[in-house]
Amino acid sequence: MILFAGETFAWALRPPFRAGLVLQQMAFVGVGSAFIVGVTGTFAGMVLALQMNVALRQFAAEGYVGGSVGFSLARELAPVFTALMITGRSGSAIATELGTMRVTEQIDAMETMAVNPIHYLVVPRVVASLLMFPVLTMLFNLMGYGGAFVMGVFVARIPIGPFIFHTQELVDQHDVGAGLFKAIVFGLIVSVITTWRGYAAAGGARGVGEGTTRGVVASSIAILLADYAITFVTVGT
Amino acid sequence: MIEVRDLYKSFGDNHVLRGISLTIPRGTTYVVLGGSGSGKTVLMKHVIGLLEPDRGEVLVAGTRITGLRGRALTEARRVFGMVFQGAALFDSMTVLENVTFPLTEARQGARLPLSEVRRRAIEKLAVVDLGEDVLDQYPAQLSGGMRKRVALARALVSDPQIVLYDEPTTGLDPITTDYVDGMILNAKRRLGITSMVISHDVASAFKVADRLALLYDGHLAAEGTPAEVRESKEPFVQRFLSTWFEKQ
Repeated sequence: MILFAGETFAWALRPPFRAGLVLQQMAFVGVGSAFIVGVTGTFAGMVLALQMNVALRQFAAEGYVGGSVGFSLARELAPVFTALMITGRSGSAIATELGTMRVTEQIDAMETMAVNPIHYLVVPRVVASLLMFPVLTMLFNLMGYGGAFVMGVFVARIPIGPFIFHTQELVDQHDVGAGLFKAIVFGLIVSVITTWRGYAAAGGARGVGEGTTRGVVASSIAILLADYAITFVTVGT
Repeated sequence: MIEVRDLYKSFGDNHVLRGISLTIPRGTTYVVLGGSGSGKTVLMKHVIGLLEPDRGEVLVAGTRITGLRGRALTEARRVFGMVFQGAALFDSMTVLENVTFPLTEARQGARLPLSEVRRRAIEKLAVVDLGEDVLDQYPAQLSGGMRKRVALARALVSDPQIVLYDEPTTGLDPITTDYVDGMILNAKRRLGITSMVISHDVASAFKVADRLALLYDGHLAAEGTPAEVRESKEPFVQRFLSTWFEKQ
């Protein structure tokens, strides 16, 4: 897989740069996943706000619900949940599509036509993921905070002033930036693993299914491990 | 045009090719016959550089394909067109996009105008008796025979010197099989193409071949003109050919 990733980076720097294919993949990975990411973000924010409200009320600190939710979303929940949702929706589809192309000899056909399949198939998917994971993470942040706002202000009756004020106090651009950095790393991990699993598929329909399952499982675990590693390095113990 | 020299290839303990040597002169159709799993496709994939041999080499038009990598291999492949067993059409693309793919994607350096690309696609589809009505259809909407014809049009669109056919008649009814045989002969007659055909279809092989080889147990059990192969005294060759000739 390391060789595959190296080859992908090398081909990404070589012309022709197929902007049309990248846009097509951005639509698939990004626009196509927006609904599920938005729904997940909204409900994550709503639930988190209710839970935080119960906990912080013990200390008469309900005003901190917005800030706590915003901080958790920005640094942790948005990048991780978004990456897991995209892995399930788009990563599996990428592995299946490339796997099917491999076992039906479409990838071999491409090679015989003097077109490098990594350049044509893999690079646009990796580039699109690198661009769209942060965008969808921001969408998760916005929808999550919106959900928390509705629950906190309208359901839990937290005054709007402290809710907003403590959010501004607790969450700054560094928190959002740290989350977006994670999103870029996760985009790289998911796209490389799922394209590789599809690209290396063998053995007919079963091989494609196994490749997809392994791609999704490996991506999910890699996301969690990378999240821990980045958090450990940036925040410490 | 194509020279295979002492080719060996194993996958683990499975010794698929054991010292294959053959020569395919320019403008001829060479058929490699053999049973399922005899290594015919493996041999063909070596010719176009999709597989690397354990030993031996392949030369195409004087260029050593074996050992080439990256851009050099890409350049060497420009003389080839290949028709895969299952057609291997890109199922997310229309017939027009499939047929024009080698022109629009493989030759980024010398882009042709779209009208010229389309004209060439229509011209090659006409060679395989397909009209403009199929241009916007997807492979899933075509019959098996039509898919093979589109695959051949795609293989011909960049005017290759050599076309490789992997089991071109497998899974086709007798009429379509006859049609595909005609296509192979036509491509040679009209375009002067050198062809290598991999098949287990004895009838088709004897119909299209200028020269013929029978692959068995990793080596060529017989090699020569169709008449010479038919006269071979090798027991396996006689048994293999009798499956068809005795029916006649």
